[in-house]
Amino acid sequence: MNSTNMLLAAPELWVMVMACVILIVDLYLGEERRGIIHMLAILTLVFAAIITLRADYAADGVREAFAFNGSYIRDTMGDVLKLFSFLILAIVYTYAKFCLRQFRMFRADFYTLSLFALLGVMLLISANSLVMIYLGLELISLSSYALVAFDRDSRLGSEAAIKYFVLGSMASGMLLYGMSMIYGATGTMDLGQVAQAVRSVGSDDPLLVFGLVFLVVGLAFKLGVVPFHMWIPDVYQGAPVVTTLFISSVPKMAAFAMAIRLLQTGLVDMQADWSQMLSILAVLSIILGNVAAIAQTNIKRMLAYSTISHMGFVLMGLLPGTAMGYGAGMFYVIVYSLMSAAGFGMVILLSARGVEAEKLDDFKGLNQRNSWYAAIMAMVMFSMAGVPVFVGFFAKWMVIKAALDAGLMWLAIIAVIFSVVGAFYYLRVVKLMYFDEPLTEAEIDAPVDFRAAISLNGIMMIGLGIFSSSLIAVCMASFGA
Amino acid sequence: MSLKTILLLIPLLPLAAAAVAGLFRNQVGRAGSHWVAILGVGVSFFLSAYVLYLQVFGNLETLNYSVYTWMVSDGIRFEVGFLIDHLSALMMTVVTFVSFMVHIYTIGYMAEDPGYQRFFSYIALFTFSMLMLVMSNNFLQLFFGWEAVGLVSYLLIGFWFKRESAVAAGLKAFLVNRVGDFGFLLGIAAILYCFGSMDYSEVFGQAGSISGETVSIVAGFEWQWITVICICLFIGAMGKSAQAPLHVWLPDSMEGPTPISALIHAATMVTAGIFMVARMSPLFELSDAALSFVMLIGAVTAFSMGLVGIVQNDIKRVIAYSTLSQLGYMTVALGVSAYSAAIFHLMTHAFFKALLFLGAGSVIIALHHQQDMRFMGGLRKQMPITWITAWIGTLALIGFPFMSGFYSKDSIIEAVHASTRFGSDVAYWAVLLGVLITSFYSFRLLYLTFHGQPRYRVDVGAGDHPPDGILQHAPKESPLVVTVPLILLAIPSIVIGYMTIEPVLFGGWLSDAIMVLPQNDAVAEVGSHFHGPVAMVTHALGTAPFWLMIGGFVLATFIYQVRPSMADQLQQKMPRLHRILENKFYVDEFYQSVFVRRVINIGNGLWKKADAGLIDGVLVNGSARLVGTISERIRLWQSGFLFQYAFAMIVGLIGMIAIWVMLK
Amino acid sequence: MPIYEIVFYAFSLVMLAGAVGVITVRNPVYAALCLVLTFFSASAIWMLLEAEFLAIILIVVYVGAVMVLFLFVVMMLDINVAPLKEGFIRYLPVGILVAALMAAELLVLIWSKGRFEAGAYPLPAPNPEEYSNTKAVGEWLFTNYLLAFEVAGVILLVAIIAAVALTLRHRAGGHRQNPSHQVRVERDERVRLVKMKPEPRQGS
Repeated sequence: MNSTNMLLAAPELWVMVMACVILIVDLYLGEERRGIIHMLAILTLVFAAIITLRADYAADGVREAFAFNGSYIRDTMGDVLKLFSFLILAIVYTYAKFCLRQFRMFRADFYTLSLFALLGVMLLISANSLVMIYLGLELISLSSYALVAFDRDSRLGSEAAIKYFVLGSMASGMLLYGMSMIYGATGTMDLGQVAQAVRSVGSDDPLLVFGLVFLVVGLAFKLGVVPFHMWIPDVYQGAPVVTTLFISSVPKMAAFAMAIRLLQTGLVDMQADWSQMLSILAVLSIILGNVAAIAQTNIKRMLAYSTISHMGFVLMGLLPGTAMGYGAGMFYVIVYSLMSAAGFGMVILLSARGVEAEKLDDFKGLNQRNSWYAAIMAMVMFSMAGVPVFVGFFAKWMVIKAALDAGLMWLAIIAVIFSVVGAFYYLRVVKLMYFDEPLTEAEIDAPVDFRAAISLNGIMMIGLGIFSSSLIAVCMASFGA
Repeated sequence: MSLKTILLLIPLLPLAAAAVAGLFRNQVGRAGSHWVAILGVGVSFFLSAYVLYLQVFGNLETLNYSVYTWMVSDGIRFEVGFLIDHLSALMMTVVTFVSFMVHIYTIGYMAEDPGYQRFFSYIALFTFSMLMLVMSNNFLQLFFGWEAVGLVSYLLIGFWFKRESAVAAGLKAFLVNRVGDFGFLLGIAAILYCFGSMDYSEVFGQAGSISGETVSIVAGFEWQWITVICICLFIGAMGKSAQAPLHVWLPDSMEGPTPISALIHAATMVTAGIFMVARMSPLFELSDAALSFVMLIGAVTAFSMGLVGIVQNDIKRVIAYSTLSQLGYMTVALGVSAYSAAIFHLMTHAFFKALLFLGAGSVIIALHHQQDMRFMGGLRKQMPITWITAWIGTLALIGFPFMSGFYSKDSIIEAVHASTRFGSDVAYWAVLLGVLITSFYSFRLLYLTFHGQPRYRVDVGAGDHPPDGILQHAPKESPLVVTVPLILLAIPSIVIGYMTIEPVLFGGWLSDAIMVLPQNDAVAEVGSHFHGPVAMVTHALGTAPFWLMIGGFVLATFIYQVRPSMADQLQQKMPRLHRILENKFYVDEFYQSVFVRRVINIGNGLWKKADAGLIDGVLVNGSARLVGTISERIRLWQSGFLFQYAFAMIVGLIGMIAIWVMLK
Repeated sequence: MPIYEIVFYAFSLVMLAGAVGVITVRNPVYAALCLVLTFFSASAIWMLLEAEFLAIILIVVYVGAVMVLFLFVVMMLDINVAPLKEGFIRYLPVGILVAALMAAELLVLIWSKGRFEAGAYPLPAPNPEEYSNTKAVGEWLFTNYLLAFEVAGVILLVAIIAAVALTLRHRAGGHRQNPSHQVRVERDERVRLVKMKPEPRQGS
């Protein structure tokens, strides 16, 4: 525990080195050879996955291993979340290349910034001390701010970036304040030692509870749950769709890991308190997210509200404080990230020549223009709505079951009722695609790698649903359930 | 390649073919899609045949294993699993063979259809679903396959969705099957309730344990659980296998393309109900009441549907009613515990009925989609191959000695005769008279279509859509892709019964799947008089069925060949009988007036008063309006002003501190 | 040791006053200067805790570099303050209410629960003579907090990249010189030697 053991963090080191390499290589590439950057980025992800999979630490049945004097942890949950981050980021890159080319924004900055954000995601997932959590979070946030303002000529984008930046800084400040309270009460940054200190101090220490409130607020902002959600719709809508695609998927997994590290590793003895806080946040999010989404006519905004409700469900998995619940939450967040990537991927696909297809009406009559793409979008929508057989159903089912097992009947009932309300706006998209006349007959064209990626992503919606048990088993095993 | 890989490939190849032909229809093109589909189903057939071969000659043991566990909930496992015994291997081979033939035939039949690739995708998907159904080792997968074949069937009935009648027929099939499926689902739920398992072997293993338990559905009447379960399951089978009174969808399903009528609505899907009951024999054996019910339903269907077939003029409808009647025979066999006889008849029927349908399709192609027999006649000269194969199919259907249908149908009749179950004497008369009727309408079809004088006129300048009875081109024999499947189907129609009756029926070959209690074993009773297939023929020459069959032939020959005018005279002499038959015993009208119209009335009433007023006005619109209003409010909060957002966060923070730090 | 407490309270008061000044004064330059004052006082308090290195760093980095740059920017940009104050009066009551609530909650927390009494947090024992705060910070940074230190470096790198990515533009038609082209210039590109007949001198 007191050694540096740097090789354990090889995936992070690799991603960091490659981000810098891409930064430098780009200096020597002209506009027409930018494709190399894309290939390098994909390569980075592939090798990062390979390095992660060679988890030597787990050789003798060891469940977790530490590095950098205990501030870094490798465990199954972390590895699984990282692997899915790589997968989803690879999908995001494939969508992004097509989109950036169309919008004449194909610059290497997108790749370097998002790789640094990925580094932040990985560090946050593997953080085992308060300071690493904060730094990982800041690394993600800083890269995200820049990515939101990536389209420098877009006023909406700049405005969104400023909002995101100011509110994000506020949330970081609150988180940091909470951390300082926890540090003040326990005298340590290491989460394992925090847990021990909490046990000796007693979980009803007002200082601890006070700190916990601030921590939960910081966490809630990052996840985007009510009432700390206000940035989500504006940022999702204002940012270029590639950025929305990115920030709506990969960082959510980091936020989940952050919740696990802080609440389950560090403050597990205060479960009674944070469970109540999370349940209020979860209920508000599920209600507000689903209801507000109905009034939206902009698909990016609609998906933003849908994100809010999905994050409410993730919290619902967390709050019982059981291994089953954590596993369910993890499954949900992975599934959500995949669904979100596919949803925004479809928005990118329909964006013709420099105009984002962000109106719901742009999906009208999609079935007549291209039935396969309509089928993909329909699968994504069904999955998000939680229609059985699709993977989203199992995700919802698992968290609701976790809540029921914990005796939270009222929470489960609210979740079910508002899922039904939510189904309305998802199915409206399906209705638009299949029963309305298209506004344009323009051919939908995309390069072959894009088509492959979106098809794969769409088929996952039903494929992972039918074969959901292995992924669920992995998620459950991460928490020993 | 291990056996398990092969078994996995058998259903997955057609699925893959369906995916390729359906999803990439523009990429692979017409030829590509039929090659992919034929290849997938063809390989699947050869693999199925290999598995059957291993079972017959290689002493392959029964395989029962789980392929994939979907989820485990409260100890009940939801899984995909295969149960490969002689019954499923036989079904797999029959299904893939007929499907393979139909695939090839479709190239010719659908040659000019714009939905060519879609069609191949559907039938390959159907093959997959049917295989999943027969290979299943649990009720969940059975139900999945059950619904999936149903779905494809509705899609295919309504394949020509521009024809209003086709869409209506699809809807009708869908609705009627819902009634059956409701029963089926209730049955499965009851099984789950009673046994706490979805797995066949577990359920069958415990079947005896609930034999004495009863349930009181209507107060005062105690029902045996097992009877309730079996009758519920059988209601499902009635829907799928079109038994009276849920038969009404099958004749209408002839709106679909003919290859579909052959594959789905004659050879395979409609026999799923028969297969299911045979598979469930360990349950059905425990309930005499349920078996009696099964037998009587079958008998009614077998007799009455054949009668209706006599007066139909549409060539496909005649065969459709014949299918209904034959399904009735199988059901009767199930009812007298002669499960193996039912499966045997199912197999032979699959071949000769597919043959008859495809033959009818061949005629329809030649006559430019004219299906009315009143405008046919004399086609034997122009279409010799179709004519000969149709004769073979007909002889098999009526049970002419040495043909496959003879062995299967005679066995059923004998088994019914030997049975002592309540009501079996009624059933015996029904199936016996059914032979006469079958023979009569079969020869009527043959004579009207292929013999006599042509009742159509060839007029080259008649335009694209000439009136009935006028053709643009003279009919000619269909292309090879049509005739080769006919010939290939004709071969088993002749010989399969002779070759397999001994092992399948009396050799106990199916006994690893089918359980018959000794006191019910009608087949064994029949088998005790069985001395080989040839002896069976010589014995049959002196029995009633043979002479009834001959009687039907003579009657048909006399009426339609010797004195063609007599048919009309008879029709005029017996207007009431004719009208009853013409209107198919008024079953459709009954449903229309009792259920459909009343339901529509109730529905309208509910819609106007309850729905439009209360639910729409108050609940739906009200809550929609409420949700809309709230939604709009939230939009107002989401003003876009940064300071408001920050303010919201701070309020949230203060609120949380107030609740958790102050109040505790 | 009353002198210790006098110094502590004195600098604390100045720091609070400075912090209040930052958000209340109208002129941004004054606000920045108030912030400098706040940092300065904080640094003095750190000094009291024997954290000399951090205290010096705070002065050097924040006061010396960051705030100077900040002042520079504020002066260059010439922000019109009036619109920023719009609505100040309108939202003041709500603002005060929220602030008061927050303050009340904190005060209740501090006074009622007993966790924040002075006795609960004794002064740390003074370090021995030869103790070097700088050395201790260095040791910790490169052992226990190595990863955090490196990640902080990455964050700064991202800040640079983000700043460049968002502000660097190559405007079309801009008159920019490329030094490397200028250095590599050849004679032939600039001078053209022309052969011509000698012209007779005019008017001779």
